[in-house]
Amino acid sequence: MRKIFLAAGVAGLISLGIASSAPAADETVVLPEQAWSFDGVFGTFDRASAQRGFQVYHDVCAKCHSMDLLSYRNLEELGLSADQVKAIAAADQVMDRDDRGMPVIDDSGKVVMRPARPSDRFAPPDKTVTSALLPAIPPDLSLMVHAREDGENYVFDLLAKGYVTPPEGWDPAANYNLYFPGHRIAMPPPLAEGAVTYADGTVATLDQEARDIVNFLEWAADPNLEERHRTGLKVILFLIVLTLVLYAAKRRIWSDLHKGEH
Amino acid sequence: MAAPRTQNPIIRWIDYRLPIFSYLEHELHEYPTPRNLSYWWNFGSLAGFMLVTMIVTGIFLAMHYTPNVFLAFDSVERIRRDVPYGWLIQYIHMNGASFFFIVTYIHIFRGLYYGSYKNPRELLWMLGVVILLLMMATAFMGYVLPWGQMSFWGATVITNLFSAIPKIGNAIVTWLWGGYAVGNPTLNRFYSLHYLLPFVIVAVVMLHVIALHRHGSNNPLGIDRKGPQDSIPFHPYYTIKDMFGLGVFLIVYASFIFFMPLSLGDPQNAIPANPLQTPPEIVPEWYFLPFYAILRSVPDIWFIPSKLAGVICLFGSIGLLFVLPWLDTSPVRSARFRPIYKWFFVLLVVDVVALGICGAHRPEGTYIVIGRLATLYYFFHFVILLPLLGKLERPRPLPASIGAAVLKGGAVSAE
Amino acid sequence: MAETAQAKPMGAHGGEGSRRDFLVLTASALGAVGVAAIAWPLIDAMNPAADTLAAGAPVDVDISKLAEGQQVVVLWRSRPIFIMHRSADELKELETGKNAALLRDPDSGSLQQPDYAKNWHRSIKPEILVLVGICTHLGCIPSFVPQPGNAPVENWPGGYFCPCHGSKYDLSGRVYAGVPAPLNLPVPPYVFVSDTVIRVGENPKGSDFDLSSVEQL
Repeated sequence: MRKIFLAAGVAGLISLGIASSAPAADETVVLPEQAWSFDGVFGTFDRASAQRGFQVYHDVCAKCHSMDLLSYRNLEELGLSADQVKAIAAADQVMDRDDRGMPVIDDSGKVVMRPARPSDRFAPPDKTVTSALLPAIPPDLSLMVHAREDGENYVFDLLAKGYVTPPEGWDPAANYNLYFPGHRIAMPPPLAEGAVTYADGTVATLDQEARDIVNFLEWAADPNLEERHRTGLKVILFLIVLTLVLYAAKRRIWSDLHKGEH
Repeated sequence: MAAPRTQNPIIRWIDYRLPIFSYLEHELHEYPTPRNLSYWWNFGSLAGFMLVTMIVTGIFLAMHYTPNVFLAFDSVERIRRDVPYGWLIQYIHMNGASFFFIVTYIHIFRGLYYGSYKNPRELLWMLGVVILLLMMATAFMGYVLPWGQMSFWGATVITNLFSAIPKIGNAIVTWLWGGYAVGNPTLNRFYSLHYLLPFVIVAVVMLHVIALHRHGSNNPLGIDRKGPQDSIPFHPYYTIKDMFGLGVFLIVYASFIFFMPLSLGDPQNAIPANPLQTPPEIVPEWYFLPFYAILRSVPDIWFIPSKLAGVICLFGSIGLLFVLPWLDTSPVRSARFRPIYKWFFVLLVVDVVALGICGAHRPEGTYIVIGRLATLYYFFHFVILLPLLGKLERPRPLPASIGAAVLKGGAVSAE
Repeated sequence: MAETAQAKPMGAHGGEGSRRDFLVLTASALGAVGVAAIAWPLIDAMNPAADTLAAGAPVDVDISKLAEGQQVVVLWRSRPIFIMHRSADELKELETGKNAALLRDPDSGSLQQPDYAKNWHRSIKPEILVLVGICTHLGCIPSFVPQPGNAPVENWPGGYFCPCHGSKYDLSGRVYAGVPAPLNLPVPPYVFVSDTVIRVGENPKGSDFDLSSVEQL
């Protein structure tokens, strides 16, 4: 008995250790939490919101931020049709590549561009735009919600709640964001009410846009979430049944030994 | 060794030429195992299961991974997104490293509590420490392969340790890197060695099991088997018990794989490696945290700069384990009969956890103090306490035999 | 796991022994299911990944500049595809069928082409030939030698010649008898999206030909 308490105590200490081993973003700022459809064991994606989020990315964020890990064909998983995906791809220009993957150069030495196909990765932002932003380098967004502690809430809070009035003495030329570590963020507020006109007619408030982009980014970072949860449920239920049968078998097989004891 | 009991002519034909069946029958049916092993004895087989799991998933991952600094990060993401069930294989492998260490650490602490390292099992114990070292090297190199920020910077920090060696340190580091910094040559050689070492581990595990079978398992009472009433055949008793333990373990393992696959990792590794940008905190995976804390705790000692002292203490903390059988002077094996050692064991466990917590935080303020105290206690425990305690402690009286203790229904239970 | 338990013979004590049998049997069956469940993802992981399949999408080729007697080679699903513009004279020769006796399979009896290419010109439009440029012997890429003459062999009527082991094909990709290659060069699925653009990898409406259904690539 005592050993079980000991083991539980040690396990408790270890989990405390694991929990506190995550370095805190900023000791003094508390990150307000939202409820997300993908939270928890039974979490799923809100596809309507993620589609709107893609529109936010496409119309606003893609001007400066790349999403290198996504291909246009992935958008079909969000519920867009194959024709819609083809049209979205064809509206972007990407580098033409030969069969070895090298960029095709024309006779005047310029890289040849062509309309994107569904099998292409998302086109990166225009280099003239991004080079004008230097020394700031807008990070790639494919894994952003995984690359920050409590990423989904961090991104939402930063976008929807972070751009507040800076405190006294703050450099007026620098952007202030409450949730960005160090507060000095290079990105000016990217979203505002009505920054996008949603195709499905939803009212585009700041909160709505931020919520939609987070739903999109979570899907982009973890497209297999739903399959993983579904499979996991089946696997764990199977394992519980198997373990119970094994326990019964173990008790049975050991029963003749215990008969000789006590 | 007796011929197999089966009448099956095919099995007898094979066994006459290659005695695997009679060997297995001896090891499973005839091999005497103490009848009183508790669930703390399940963790060896769990470690073996994890070794096989890591090798199998690793081989299938290697079919899709590219060990090049420009392609590695993307190839891992491709495995997760495009390869059929790639996400599953990758999450099994990634979380498998953590679970391999969990079961191994429990297996080690079991050995520490019950005196499994004592005569005649010293070599068995030392082979185990070799396995631990090989596991740590394999895990360290494996973590570099995804080429995230923490992969790169963790590799930089840990390989830089060797520069602490006087005179030849820098040359060794350059040799390890294959260049002027951690880069493509480093990644390539880490991949090659990461693929190789698990098979070296398999070989050492085989020696480990052979050494085990020479004298058989220790048991919670720490006393030798004296006769047939003390033993039971491994099969079917411990085969079924190991399977049941595996089932329980798999439920916990699966919970992480399917519902919190990234929870034991660091968000920084979701960012591709950038040699020009150091992350705000460089933290190794949780299973290295106690050693990381020891490394950072040590100040300048006399003429030894703190960096070198830290490296010496880091390797010393594991090296000590090799000589543990000779450090512990107690004639009694199991802590069940060592009332004072028992509490120092608990203290050691708390100490290691505290070291782990310190390793996760910046070495500032209270964490430095706790880290240093915890490091001091760790070395005190092995170098001073164990040799003294063995001589000074008065152990409780040992039972006459395993069978007697179990059958008389005494204070000790079989589980 | 062997069924023979050391401590207690199976079924010897009636109910208890057979109860243990049942439990062990159930556990073994469930365990086998578990092993199969983990084996399948490992095997499936070796199948082409989603991006590989996506890259195998049909390829559009502009043939507006393809002159008579010329051939262009494009890659589709990592295979070389020959697109050749046959001249009127070459077509006349083929239509007479005078070399048919020299061919192994002049009527394209073996399934090496879709239905719409099962004719003497082995194509949709007679002037344009589309072939998978992989010799059906051991996989080399045959050379395009349309000029009749004495090269590469005596009395060469014009066609494809494989340099590796000397297999010969005519200007419809049909294999000659007596050469190592056993079958005609395969024809991939393709369709004319316009008079000047061929889409390799897609069938015309009404056909669902799959290249993997041919006898041998």
